[in-house]
Amino acid sequence: MTESVPLTWEEVARVYGRKIYNFAYRLTGNSDDASDLVQEVLLRVRKGLASYQPGSFEGWLWRITRNAFLDDVRRRNRRPTAPLPDEVDRWDRASSPSADAEYSRITLGDDVQKALLELPVEFREAVILCDVVGLSYEEIAQAVAVPVGTVRSRIHRGRKLLRESLT
Amino acid sequence: MTHAGELISAYLDGELPRSEVEQLFRHLSSCGRCSAEMQDLQAVRSAVRSLPLLELPPGLIPEADAELIPLHRNRGFLVGAAAAVVALVIAVAAIFTPSTAAISVEELNSRYGARASLDPAFGPAKVVVPQLTDVLE
Repeated sequence: MTESVPLTWEEVARVYGRKIYNFAYRLTGNSDDASDLVQEVLLRVRKGLASYQPGSFEGWLWRITRNAFLDDVRRRNRRPTAPLPDEVDRWDRASSPSADAEYSRITLGDDVQKALLELPVEFREAVILCDVVGLSYEEIAQAVAVPVGTVRSRIHRGRKLLRESLT
Repeated sequence: MTHAGELISAYLDGELPRSEVEQLFRHLSSCGRCSAEMQDLQAVRSAVRSLPLLELPPGLIPEADAELIPLHRNRGFLVGAAAAVVALVIAVAAIFTPSTAAISVEELNSRYGARASLDPAFGPAKVVVPQLTDVLE
């Protein structure tokens, strides 16, 4: 775990931006929501850095990220239901070669992504923090503010549900 | 041990203490169901870990698009330097330009062979060369 604290918001954005985006994308399943989440997280980081207490920086960062995600989920649940946009359908394949390559990258794990989105949020975030972000159980426990034993249980149950979806 | 359960995921993630690893393998050697579950969960774990790492959408985080010079320290200097270079180029151009600031299309054509096709209804086109004093104000 990285214990040294990035000094500036710009450095946090540069060093962790892509990781946050990937976490956000796997949680939400589409680029627009993931981008909004990244912006919200960086805003919170910017505000929070001034009062940050030295400790586990990544634990702090991922806690902010998952809290921002949960706040968004709660906000959506209060709103009239609107279908989530379908990233694959909306992706502009003809826009550029890089967009085409990115489309291929997304569809490559499409079934896995769909299965992730079917998981209850607490299982989804635990599995993604473990297998996409690469955090240890201890780091996930700090980010999610639950005991390590709960993390272990959530990851295991999440994977079992994924297995059912994927077979 | 009834069944291995979440010890399997913990083992796959390298999060199981050595003593429990031995206990797990003793169980797996005699439990086909848990052995099969170990294989399945290993496949699931690999599938999630094989998800492609996505690029940031361009422009989402400008700080991450390229290795930038620290914004808060050197950007002001660089902007100033760039402005100075531009001002110098314009100043040199102004010095070597005849004092009449307006040039007709005919004169441009004859001097550079350029083709300035403009609507004659608006009269002869004028290209205004900024004067040094204008730039520096």
